[in-house]
Amino acid sequence: MSDLTASQAAGSESRGRAFGRFLSRYGILISFLILFVILSFAHPNFLSTGNLTNVLRQVSINGILAIGMTFVILTGGIDLSVGSILAVAGVVAGSLVTGGDPSHPMVAILAAVAVGAAVGTINGTLIARFGVPAFVATLGMLSMARGATLLYSDGRPIPNLSPAFRWLGQGFIAGVPVPVIVFLLVFVVAWIVLRFTVYGRWVYAVGGNVKSARTSGIPTRSVVFSVYLLMGALAGLAGAILTARTTSALPQAGLGYELDAIAAVVIGGTSLTGGIGSVVYTLIGALIIGVISNGLDLMGVSSYYQQIIKGAIIVVAVLVDRSRNLNP
Amino acid sequence: MASTITRRALAALAGAGIAALAIGSAAAADKPRIAAVVQSLDTEFNVLWANAANSHPLVKDGTVTLTVLDGRMDALTQSNQFDTAISEKYDALIFVPVDINAGNDPVQRAKDAGVPVIGSNTLISNTDLYKSYISSNDVEAGKILAKSVFDKMGGKGNVVIVEGMIGQSAQVQRLEGIEATLKEYPDIKVIEQKTANWSRAEALSLVENWLTAHPDEIQGIIGENDEMAIGALEAVKGHGLDPKKIPIAGVDGVTDALLAVQRGEMMSTLQDADAQAQGAIDLALAAVQGESYQPKAKVWDVNGGKLAWEGGKSQHYSVPWVPVTGENVEALLAMRKTQ
Repeated sequence: MSDLTASQAAGSESRGRAFGRFLSRYGILISFLILFVILSFAHPNFLSTGNLTNVLRQVSINGILAIGMTFVILTGGIDLSVGSILAVAGVVAGSLVTGGDPSHPMVAILAAVAVGAAVGTINGTLIARFGVPAFVATLGMLSMARGATLLYSDGRPIPNLSPAFRWLGQGFIAGVPVPVIVFLLVFVVAWIVLRFTVYGRWVYAVGGNVKSARTSGIPTRSVVFSVYLLMGALAGLAGAILTARTTSALPQAGLGYELDAIAAVVIGGTSLTGGIGSVVYTLIGALIIGVISNGLDLMGVSSYYQQIIKGAIIVVAVLVDRSRNLNP
Repeated sequence: MASTITRRALAALAGAGIAALAIGSAAAADKPRIAAVVQSLDTEFNVLWANAANSHPLVKDGTVTLTVLDGRMDALTQSNQFDTAISEKYDALIFVPVDINAGNDPVQRAKDAGVPVIGSNTLISNTDLYKSYISSNDVEAGKILAKSVFDKMGGKGNVVIVEGMIGQSAQVQRLEGIEATLKEYPDIKVIEQKTANWSRAEALSLVENWLTAHPDEIQGIIGENDEMAIGALEAVKGHGLDPKKIPIAGVDGVTDALLAVQRGEMMSTLQDADAQAQGAIDLALAAVQGESYQPKAKVWDVNGGKLAWEGGKSQHYSVPWVPVTGENVEALLAMRKTQ
């Protein structure tokens, strides 16, 4: 009798464990698919090509930030300054392509990436070389980069950007919006780097256990430094795209964007303590956020609910993440 | 030990800095000192306002000291700045409040301390607390805005309204104007209405989604400010629609809106930052120096403008809106370059 109960208990426990594993592996994907199906029924135009193109375009900027943020969070770090980096890179790019004699758009894009990378270098140096906690260093940078943006732009939008530059935000290649193409390229490269390169393994190793990573000869400081540099460069790229999309460089662009980027990573199940996660799930996390706000706009639901729902999903995602840790 | 010394040295330096500031302000004590608490120095209208205030003739030639404090879009920050300005014994304060209700209390505190407060641009709910205030009537703006869109639609069809940050006086009053106008146009139907928090990027996504939800059903778009109207305009263009066939209007007259009006793609109404800022400084100086003060801003009738000065004694001055048209847009853009 007691044997039976024990074996029953054991059976249900292993079933529970299997379910936990299943949930943590595919939970995000399943949630996304369920959401997708519900919205397809809820509004006739949700599945239209035009709308799906819109969703992808709306997701692309947060998506690019979230991919960089995945690298940062995989090392156990955080970058709160991405919204401000995006803004400062945006106004620098904008100032190069405004007026009667605009530079080539490529110059502006490279300048934006370079500005972002430069700010990222400062973050990386503070964190990797001087041991300032990432939260503090990037919180300081959030304020400094925003101040620099306002100084540079005199607190006003920079209008009249050249049509060639605006193509980066508004154009299409073979029916696909340019921001989406850039986003997907960034995604594919990031996926390959994390999955197939030595550097990718180092990023995971540093986040998993920094001491053993160091003992096994991984240049941990350089790896930590590099993820902030990469994050800065990607935020700069996102800044150029946003500027091209809004047709003016806006000094207040990117306010609060760090939260959406972190949310996409967390919803995607990447552990905030580092070492576990994937850009594939970050992509799904970013899509979930984008699809929710698109779907609720289509259905005419108040934006207040939108914020509640987004917040609730973040918490649920972390709960799922915890259940994975409890049921290894 | 070393760190204690460094810390002490830093503290001493900071102390010296504060003392120097105090001496600096004491030396200028004979000049009138005015502090302006504005909403936020990262929105174009507030920047134009602050630039206009700083180019008031008496501020420019150093007769009057003006300090502009950035409220960072936060009612509590503004409240703290009031306390600082009161204890720093400024002669008068100018206020562009973030929040219509939270703004009352700081003004009351200044009044109790004997510091006159002049309101400018946005309002507080209890305007009686102000010595005087100068603003443009946002209900009026909402009416102009709605009427321009409805008339261009031929008085019938579906509109969408992109709202400002809920609860701010500009949002509340512009909506009031829009709703009053709606009653006069029974064939106009509002099919969507939602906030985009004054932001161009938010309005862009929102209107894209609306255009998808209601294909070919949206015949007019109202933005409660220009930034959002421009976002809507980009969404319309991105959707492959002709903005000349879907009337879009905003308020404020920011540079991008002037450019869009020039291209014939939207309508806008200019909020006169020069008049509101420089007029407020004149009213503050009238409060400090009395009736003998001669105002300097161009908006006053005594200087050839449209607004009656009335010795600076009225409680409320209403700055007229300037509709942006094909005729005046070149001149407004030329003026903007000098602001």
